[in-house]
Amino acid sequence: MGADAAVRCEALIKTFGPTRALDGLDLDVRVGEVHGFLGPNGAGKTVTMRILLGLLRGDGGRATLLGGDPWADAVALHRRLAYVPGDTNLWPNLTGGEIIDLLGNLRGGLDETRRAELIDRFDLDPRKKARAYSKGNRQKVALVAALASRAELLILDEPTAGLDPLMEAVFQDCVADARAEGRTTLLSSHILAEVEKVCDRVTIIRKGRTVRSGSLEELRVLARTTISVQVAHDGMEIAGWPGVFDVRRDGVRVSFEVDQPALGAVVERLAALGIVALESHPPTLEELFLRQYDAELAEAGVHQ
Amino acid sequence: MTGTTLVGTGRLVRLILRRDRVRLPLWVAGLIGLMAVSASQVQALYDTPAKIIGYTSTMRDNPALVIFAGPGYGFDDPGVGVILVNETSLWMALGCALMSVFLVNRHTRAEEESERADLLRSTVVGRHATISAALIVALMANVVVTASTTVLTTAVGYGFAGSLALCGSFGMVGVAFAAVTAVAAQLASTGRAALGLGAALAGLAFIARGIGDISTSWLAWLSWSSPFGWAIGVRAFAGERWWAIALLAAFSLAVTAAAFELSVRRDLGSGMLTQRAGPARAPRWSTTPLGLAFRLQRGALLGWTVGVFVTAAVYGSVGNQIEQMLEDNPQLKDYFAALQGASITDVYLSTALRMMAMLVMGFSLSSVLRNRSEETAGYAESMLATATSRWWWVGSHLVVTVAGTVVVLAASGLGVGLGYALVIGDAAQVPRMLGASLALLPALLVVIGLAVLLFGWLPRATVAVWGALAAVVVIGIFGDVLRLPGWVRDLSPLQHVPALPARPWQTLPIAVLGAAAVVLTAAGLVGFRRRDLTGA
Repeated sequence: MGADAAVRCEALIKTFGPTRALDGLDLDVRVGEVHGFLGPNGAGKTVTMRILLGLLRGDGGRATLLGGDPWADAVALHRRLAYVPGDTNLWPNLTGGEIIDLLGNLRGGLDETRRAELIDRFDLDPRKKARAYSKGNRQKVALVAALASRAELLILDEPTAGLDPLMEAVFQDCVADARAEGRTTLLSSHILAEVEKVCDRVTIIRKGRTVRSGSLEELRVLARTTISVQVAHDGMEIAGWPGVFDVRRDGVRVSFEVDQPALGAVVERLAALGIVALESHPPTLEELFLRQYDAELAEAGVHQ
Repeated sequence: MTGTTLVGTGRLVRLILRRDRVRLPLWVAGLIGLMAVSASQVQALYDTPAKIIGYTSTMRDNPALVIFAGPGYGFDDPGVGVILVNETSLWMALGCALMSVFLVNRHTRAEEESERADLLRSTVVGRHATISAALIVALMANVVVTASTTVLTTAVGYGFAGSLALCGSFGMVGVAFAAVTAVAAQLASTGRAALGLGAALAGLAFIARGIGDISTSWLAWLSWSSPFGWAIGVRAFAGERWWAIALLAAFSLAVTAAAFELSVRRDLGSGMLTQRAGPARAPRWSTTPLGLAFRLQRGALLGWTVGVFVTAAVYGSVGNQIEQMLEDNPQLKDYFAALQGASITDVYLSTALRMMAMLVMGFSLSSVLRNRSEETAGYAESMLATATSRWWWVGSHLVVTVAGTVVVLAASGLGVGLGYALVIGDAAQVPRMLGASLALLPALLVVIGLAVLLFGWLPRATVAVWGALAAVVVIGIFGDVLRLPGWVRDLSPLQHVPALPARPWQTLPIAVLGAAAVVLTAAGLVGFRRRDLTGA
C-alpha cells in the first residue's frame, strides 16, 4: 500500500438486512491511474463508492481513501475529491450554472477557466432550471461540476449513462486530460468500449466480490485469443491440440480459441500445416467480462 | 373524447390504493374515530334539556365562538344534534379537505416530478386517467368517512337525517377540495407549490366563512363564498337544507371539469405559469449549506408568513366584538367570569394565539422534514459527497427551520396584535401579543426536536411526526369535547405553556420545554451522524 494507493478496500462487507451487498470486496486504485470498476447491475459498484464517500458505513473489512478513513475523515477527504453520482438528482428549481457553483464551492473552489471551458465543450446551457434538463443534460451538470474542481481524485458512477456518443467522446477526452494532470479516476461503467479506451487498470466484481483485477494486458493473458485460419488441407485435427477450444468449421476456414500460454506452440504447429490465410484477434474486454459471468449468462438463457 | 382519455383509470386507482395502503386508512380511521368519539361524548355530556339550553345560551351569538365553531343554526329550539354540529362540523370539514388536498396532490402534480409519471403515461393510460384516478380515490375516502360516521353517529342515538346531513356536508367539503387541488395541480409549477396552493385555498375558505358569519355588514356574503359556509348551511338537525349539499356537489363537478380542461393545455411536468431562464452563476451567499437551505425554503417561508399573518390579523380584528357582545349578554359574562378571573377578550386572544401556533407547527414540520426529503430525493448524497459535514448539512436546514418558526410565529403574534390594536386603538397590544405568541416557541421546538430524533434514528418513520401534530390539534381543539384525561392532554407541549395573555407568565414550564427540545434535537443529530444514508 503506502503513498501510491488512492483507494484501497480490503475484504469490504456491507449488508442491508438479509442481503449481502458486498461480500469481501477488494479494490486497489493507484495514484494517477484511471481505474475501471466493472460489474453487472446490482454487483455492488455504487455501494462501494458510497462507502468510500462515507455515505454508508461498511460492516466489515477496511476501506482507505487518500490515506484516510472514509467515514471518520469524510470532510477532510471530500475537499480532495469530486463525485458524480449514478442518479444525478439536481434541485429542480436551481439552474445548472448555480448547481455547478454550489457543488464547486462546497468542494472548496472551482477552476474558473476550466468551468467556462467545460460548459462550452459539453455544450451545456447553464441558465436552464434543472427540472427542464434531460437526463443527459443533468449528467453534464454533475460532470462539469466535478471536472472543473481541483480535486485530486474523481469518483464517477456510470458517468456517461444518458450522454450521446459525441458527449461520450468529450468525456473520454476529459478523463484523459485528468490523467495527464496527474489526477486519479475511479470510473464505474458497463460500457466496455469506453473502459477499454480510457482505463489503465480494471477491477471486475460480481455479487459483492472481486473476481478479476489488473491491467487490461494482464487480464488478456487470462483469456483466450480467437484465431481463424485456412490451411493447406482440412485442418480439423487442430481440435485435438492442447490449449485449443471451440473448434468450428467456417467455410474453408477453421475458427478456434487458444489459451494464452499455449499460443506460441499452437502458432508453430499451424505453420507446419501450411498457412494459407490467418486472422487472430486478442480477447476484447467484452469477452473477458462475459467470461466472468458464465453462470449468469446460462441462467439468462444466453448461449455463446 | 372521454372515451379514450380515461383508459387505465381503474388500474391507477388500484395503484394509488396500494401505494397509500397505510397513509390513507390512517387519515380515514382518524377522522371517523374523532367523529365517533365526539358524538358519544357530546351525547353523554348534554344528557338533559337544561344542559343543552345552558350550552346554547353560552355559545350563541358569541363572535369568538362563531369563528371557530359556526353560527349555531337551531339554537332557538336546540337538541343535542345542534351541539354536535357546532362542535365538530367545521373541523371535520377541514380535516376532510386537508386529506383530499394531500391525497390529490401526491398522486397528480407531485407525482409528475418523478420519472415514474412518464413511465406510467407511456403505458396504456389515458390523458385524464391520472387526475380521474386521484379524484376517484379521494371521493372513495370521503364517502367512506361520510358513511361510517353517519352509521356511528346514528348508532349513538342521533337522528338519521341529521347525522347524514352533518356527515355528508363535511364529506362533500372533502370532495370539493379534492377537485380544487386538481386545478391547483394544473396551475402550479411544482408539487410543493400545488400543495401550498391547495392548502392555502382551504385555509382561505375556512377563514372567509368565519368572517362572513360574524359580519352583520356587507361582508356577510363571505359565508356563501366558501364550501365551509355551504356545509354549515346544510343546517343539520335544524331543518336540513339538502340543496346545500347539492351545491357542494355541483361545485365539485364544475371544478373537476375545469381541471380536465386545464390538464390538456399543458405538458406533463410543467405548470401553466412556465419558467423563465435563470441565472448562469450562483450568488456567493447561496453556495454554502446554509445559503442553499434558505434558498430552498424561502418561498415556503414567505408563503407561510404572509398566510399566517393575514389569518392572525383576522382573528385579532374581531377581538373588540367580544367586549361588545358581553354588554348585551350578561349570562355569557358570568360564564367567562368563571374562567380564572381573566378578561374574556384575553381568553379569546390566548385561544386565537394557540390556534395560530398549531398552524405554525404545520410550517415547522414541513420545514424540518426537508432534511428527509432532500435525503430521499438524492440531493443529500451530492451535498455530503462534498466537504460538507453531516452536522453542518442537517444544522443548516435546522437553522432555517428554527429561524423560520420564529418568524412565522412572530407573524401570528403581530397579526393578532395589529388586528386587535387597530380595532381598539391601542398600539401597546402589538408587543403584548407578539410576546405572548413567542412564549409558545419552546412548545414548537419540542415537536421539531421530535422530528429530528426520528430523522436520526428511524429515518423511514420521520413522516410519522405529522401524527404528533394531529395529536396536538386533537388535544387542543377537541380536548374538552372528548373529555380527554389529564395525562393525555399533558402529552401536547402546547398545554404546558401558560395561556398568555389570559394567565400569568411562568418560567419553569417554558424552560423545561426548551431543555426537552435541545435534548431531543441533540439525540437526533447524534443518530444521524452514525447512520447510513437511506432512500425512500
